[in-house]
Amino acid sequence: MADPIITARNVNIFYGAAQAIFDVDLDILPNKVTALIGPSGCGKSTFLRAINRMNDLIPICRIEGDLKIAGQDIYSPSVDVVALRAQVGMVFQKPNPFPKSIFENVAYGLKIHKLTSSKTELQDRVEWSLKSAGLWSEVADRLNQPGNSLSGGQQQRLCIARAIAVEPKVILMDEPCSALDPIATAVVEELIDNLRKDYTIVIVTHSMQQAARISQRTAFFHLGTLVEFGDTKTVFTTPADERTQNYITGRIG
Amino acid sequence: MEHEHIVTKFDKNLDKIKTSIVEMGGLVGLQLNDATAVLATFDAAEVERIKTYDRIVNGLNKDIHDRAEILIIRRQPMALDLRQTLVPINIAGELERIGDHAKSTAKRAHIVQGAAALDMIGAMSAVVQAMLADVLRAYVDGDIELAAKVRKRDEEVDALNKQLISSVIETLSRLPENAECLIHITLISRNFERIGDHICNIARYVHQIATGEDLKASV
Repeated sequence: MADPIITARNVNIFYGAAQAIFDVDLDILPNKVTALIGPSGCGKSTFLRAINRMNDLIPICRIEGDLKIAGQDIYSPSVDVVALRAQVGMVFQKPNPFPKSIFENVAYGLKIHKLTSSKTELQDRVEWSLKSAGLWSEVADRLNQPGNSLSGGQQQRLCIARAIAVEPKVILMDEPCSALDPIATAVVEELIDNLRKDYTIVIVTHSMQQAARISQRTAFFHLGTLVEFGDTKTVFTTPADERTQNYITGRIG
Repeated sequence: MEHEHIVTKFDKNLDKIKTSIVEMGGLVGLQLNDATAVLATFDAAEVERIKTYDRIVNGLNKDIHDRAEILIIRRQPMALDLRQTLVPINIAGELERIGDHAKSTAKRAHIVQGAAALDMIGAMSAVVQAMLADVLRAYVDGDIELAAKVRKRDEEVDALNKQLISSVIETLSRLPENAECLIHITLISRNFERIGDHICNIARYVHQIATGEDLKASV
């Protein structure tokens, strides 16, 4: 088994005096889709956001413990958070294209991180990203139109193209399909499966069927603790913990 | 102790599958009991009646398939629920085959009337009927210990079958004119031996539903 790309050890997260995450130890393997599941308020999104320090934006949020990506402590004072977020991209529940053209949405990260040296290289990189996100054939003739003129599913794939343009190691997804119809969801799920060849994906989802369909590893969170983490097939067929079984089968536990 | 589903209809849907299995098992048990009775006292009308059970058993088998299919479409069961939905399809298949063996036994009743070996057949039938009742109880209660006892009891059926075959071979050399009857006795014994195997498979499925572990390739 490959070495984990993300390692969490004794991670505790607090919002002021309230503790949201309790002593989480988790190893996330490269080129796998890891699903974080659990009831609302269980801490899965809080944990996800800790992986690219999105919680830094919440003043009362405090994190303890070790959280490393590729061996580097991402909470070390020497870490450049902007560079970290280029390494760890994020796709949100609601597609959030910038109020710019389709082209500029994808080019934005490349420009601010100065990742291309010429206009041609920038164009090539935008085209590659849109192709990787499975969107190129649908937008190639209207790159100058606003990103928000696209359908919901296309906007979400535009956000994925924007995230992968800067070639991150990890892509975090917080319920990326919850605002999409079943067809757009299927397209994004197919894309996620293709992307895992090149990226490590961590996804929060409320859909157990989606977690079962697209992930190789599943972590079940409950009341801020990591109850069970393992191979997706095992978690959804023979979970070890009764709390996992009760949750995934929709029982009153 | 299993917790109830938040969606109460989910529990009702699963209960209906369970009820159909128990109903099917009860009918097959009755078929076995009646087939054994006509071996002792032949009654052509009774044999015909046993044959008609088959259609009801087949209907229940289809019913279980349909219920499982609808449940998968509506609820997308996971883990224990998935096993409680899928595994009964296999149990129903085993019960249907037990019914076929009971029917095959009843159809031979007129040929074996008065045969000495019928006592031993009666003993085999009593063991498999008790095993069937126990395995159905184990299925309803999710009792894997009782299911293990049922699997163990199949050894009794195998031993009786072996004993009967030895006795038939011995009788054949002495009374070759009874060959037809003795062959049918052997085939009936074989039916009960196979019934024991099907009940054992059901006991393995009971274990699989409760634990997720597939014992089919082992004990």
